[in-house]
Amino acid sequence: MAATAREETAREETALHGNLRGPHHAPPALPPLTVERLLSRVRKPGRYAGGEWNSVAKEWSEVALKWCFAYPDLYEIGMSNLGLRILYEVLNDRPDVLAERCFAPDVDLAAELRRAQVPLWSLETRRALREFDVIGFSLGFELVANNVLEMLDIGGVGLTTAERGEAEPLVIAGGSIVPNAEPWADFMDAVVLGEGEDAVIEISDLLESLGWHRRVSSPTGEWHRGVDRATVLRALARIPGVYVPSLYRPRYLADGRFDGLDRLDDAAPASIVGRIAADFETRVRGIRQLVPNIGIVFDRAQIEVMRGCTRGCRFCQAGMQSRPLRERTPEVAVAAAEAILRATGYEEIGLTSLSTADYTYVREVATELHRRRPEAVLSLPSTRVDAFTVELVDAIAPGGRRSGFTFAPEAGTQRLRDTINKGVSDEEIASCAQLAFDRGWSSIKLYFMIGLPGETIDDVLGIAAISRRVLEMGHRRHGGRAQVKASISTFVPKVMTPFQWDGQDSTAEIEAKVVALRKALHGKGLTMAWHNPHSSIVEAALGRGDRRLGAVIRRAWQKGARLDAWDEHFDFDLWLAAFADEDLDPAWYAQRDIPIDEHLPWEHLAGVVSMEFLLRDRKRALAAKATVDCHWGPCSDCGVPSATGFACQTGEQGPRQMLVRVGEEGRSFRYVGPPGDARRGLAADEPAASETAADAAAAFGGRG
Amino acid sequence: MSEIRQRWRLVFARDEEARYLSHLDAVRLWERAFRRGEIPIAKSEGFNPRPKLVFAAPLQLGMLAERELADIFLAERLAAHDLRHRLEAGMPRGYRVVDLHDVWVGASALAPQLAAADYRMTLCNVEKDDLAAAVAKLKAADTLPRLRRREKRSISYDLRPLLLEAEVRPPDPAAMVPDTIELPPVGLWLRLRHSQNQGSGRVDEVVAALADELGMATRLPPSEDERGVAESAAGPDAGIRAESTRQSSAAGATSEAGFGLERPLLEAIRAVRERLLLAEELETAGSQPSVE
Repeated sequence: MAATAREETAREETALHGNLRGPHHAPPALPPLTVERLLSRVRKPGRYAGGEWNSVAKEWSEVALKWCFAYPDLYEIGMSNLGLRILYEVLNDRPDVLAERCFAPDVDLAAELRRAQVPLWSLETRRALREFDVIGFSLGFELVANNVLEMLDIGGVGLTTAERGEAEPLVIAGGSIVPNAEPWADFMDAVVLGEGEDAVIEISDLLESLGWHRRVSSPTGEWHRGVDRATVLRALARIPGVYVPSLYRPRYLADGRFDGLDRLDDAAPASIVGRIAADFETRVRGIRQLVPNIGIVFDRAQIEVMRGCTRGCRFCQAGMQSRPLRERTPEVAVAAAEAILRATGYEEIGLTSLSTADYTYVREVATELHRRRPEAVLSLPSTRVDAFTVELVDAIAPGGRRSGFTFAPEAGTQRLRDTINKGVSDEEIASCAQLAFDRGWSSIKLYFMIGLPGETIDDVLGIAAISRRVLEMGHRRHGGRAQVKASISTFVPKVMTPFQWDGQDSTAEIEAKVVALRKALHGKGLTMAWHNPHSSIVEAALGRGDRRLGAVIRRAWQKGARLDAWDEHFDFDLWLAAFADEDLDPAWYAQRDIPIDEHLPWEHLAGVVSMEFLLRDRKRALAAKATVDCHWGPCSDCGVPSATGFACQTGEQGPRQMLVRVGEEGRSFRYVGPPGDARRGLAADEPAASETAADAAAAFGGRG
Repeated sequence: MSEIRQRWRLVFARDEEARYLSHLDAVRLWERAFRRGEIPIAKSEGFNPRPKLVFAAPLQLGMLAERELADIFLAERLAAHDLRHRLEAGMPRGYRVVDLHDVWVGASALAPQLAAADYRMTLCNVEKDDLAAAVAKLKAADTLPRLRRREKRSISYDLRPLLLEAEVRPPDPAAMVPDTIELPPVGLWLRLRHSQNQGSGRVDEVVAALADELGMATRLPPSEDERGVAESAAGPDAGIRAESTRQSSAAGATSEAGFGLERPLLEAIRAVRERLLLAEELETAGSQPSVE
């Protein structure tokens, strides 16, 4: 028995070793002249030039498996993504693997590439995307869909799993929106659910052992890989957290409703749970973070101090799906922050998480970091609207420039804030704003959503009321200098949240609310910023969609949809036409209240919180009842322990969901906040406000 | 302001890897390089203290360079080899230390001493003799009235006093010439005025003036952070790019083919700033370039 196991191990090792023996496939890079001539014609050529500090350009003939991280948005957004910085280091630390980068080309370069018939290249060694073994897309926002197709197409890679030849790369996706991977199913060979740090290593090991990187020539001069695509896909499906869409087929009822998935292969598990990185608390990856040559949205180092969030805001997919909460000890966080600052030369470091004011050791870490690196500027995102946050920022940045303070009350009345579990009263918002004004801030930014479930016109007008009230307080303190900026976006129901069944308002309803709010909210010192409601409809439709939306995405791309995440490029009519061509209705996907007994297209991609909890919490929402944060209050029985193998610790202040692991296998969801809001930052003529969507951010320390 | 204990004049080169940086990007990168190298640089006064690192002249996006100048003010004394070592440890890719000179702390500021800059580039699509004739015409002119776009305004100026020297030379051997171009490439060497109070000439403005003489079009180099705008070749300001870093243009992606049909394109490739000349150097240098 033992001998057999040993023999097997030996055989596997031989296979692996044989597979890793070089020299490896090393196609020529694009000629420098070609690149130079193209880059001389486009704006911001630094986006495509590479050569950044901490970027890694390995010799292709010496490395077995080649990854390219394809970030489907512009360089300024993609380079801000912490997940990319982490996974880039994780893979490049392996001698047998290389990871390069590629970002969505702006429309000018895309046109030049098509005209010159030059493929989209990786920044490090300027190889076409089609030359890689694996392309990894990071999906942080639904509206990047056409960028994915554009990059594959210009990169010379087949758009869909079905179209890809044996020699073409494997196309994999991960990121914050893959809890519903169904609209992406046509395009992705595999989807990684949850945190990527361990999964990318396991995928690399598997592909190397199977020989996916090997090129075998045939007498005709063509070549194929060391293993066929179907075998690889079946093997990938056995890795925990990896979803292979082509191994399933959806069923629909005659009326178009989704009726469940058929498994087409024994290798396909009935449900897939997202991964949790094995040792988040004690081990920090992503130290030698990429430092861009040109300015980007979040142009600073980042140390992730905490993962997960237990606040329980009912609209927030990140908060629901990144559980369990895990905190880094102050020693680990400070040491890593120092190492990152040293390795990057950055002047500023963000203490990132979904809500850093909730991080138990935030004061200790900030104080100690300031003591050790007095010249470093600290910044932190926070979702909290309370005195603690203001005090915290004030304490860390004595005398810093106070350009603006951001709070996210999200809704206009306390009743509606109770409905969404953002349990903060008008009085608390007012006293918090007063404190910020007293401490020297003269401008306050407030984030709100309209169209939340159960919203009435009173709630909408409440946004104006609270904004005015805050402004009056500012006027009393700072006179005419005081400013309130209200940033209004449209509610988008997100899968795996208590609001996943709730439809968006109709376009007419949203427009009526916008008109009412505009009327109520104007005057000196008050400004409003609107998020385009039409793009929220497409976001919601794609977010709650099924596999039929793959065809819609493709149609929209064929019709010329590009860089949809940018308001100046987004074209709603084009999307409507794409839906119409496929006989589908975006309103049916975005605005319909889904009955709770209906099958959900994403139900097999089991979230870390249980469906029972989501239903229970939705009932509490309808009754405008809060669910208390288990960081401080009682356990809400969200189901994370049974789904993930984590046990929640009971601390002095009550149950506390963190840190204690049961067994070896850790699992969870997500690796970085959605970048949707980064775009707001880039569009505005001020530093980006927030690291995570709809979070209030407090950036401080003289950067202004 | 931290006390200044030492001042170094850094001579550095910029290669292809860093050519697409704007001046602002480059300054930010150098500041990070100083932090990575743990160089004890002095800080400026003010609410938002900046490292005391002063460049003689901004280097345009797309331009290579062989001998750029910057003054580094240190709060602690360092030996030359130590500073060089620390610089090289953290320096942005594509930059090289060429030389380091000790400068008296009280010496006058660098930028006001600047008088001129030498450039070389390679031009495509033009006969050598035609170019030489156009160059001679520019040099023979008493004035060269041209328009320079700034923000959305056009400013008229005289290019002639900014053009100190111009000479047709053999092409730069390092220049990569597309094989679609039939005529052999021609080298052009320029000495342009670079002065804080008397104005500075720009390579692309000279190329545009030559193109007008030749009845050709120009394609602009990528601007600081906006498009490499292809302006209409018809106007008197054809080919003049705005100095502003924030001008948006309706021209969009270049349409070389569009106007190329009417006028052939005078294309400048691999523009290199060879050296910056201080006032005293310009006096002794005469019109002769430094020999490589």
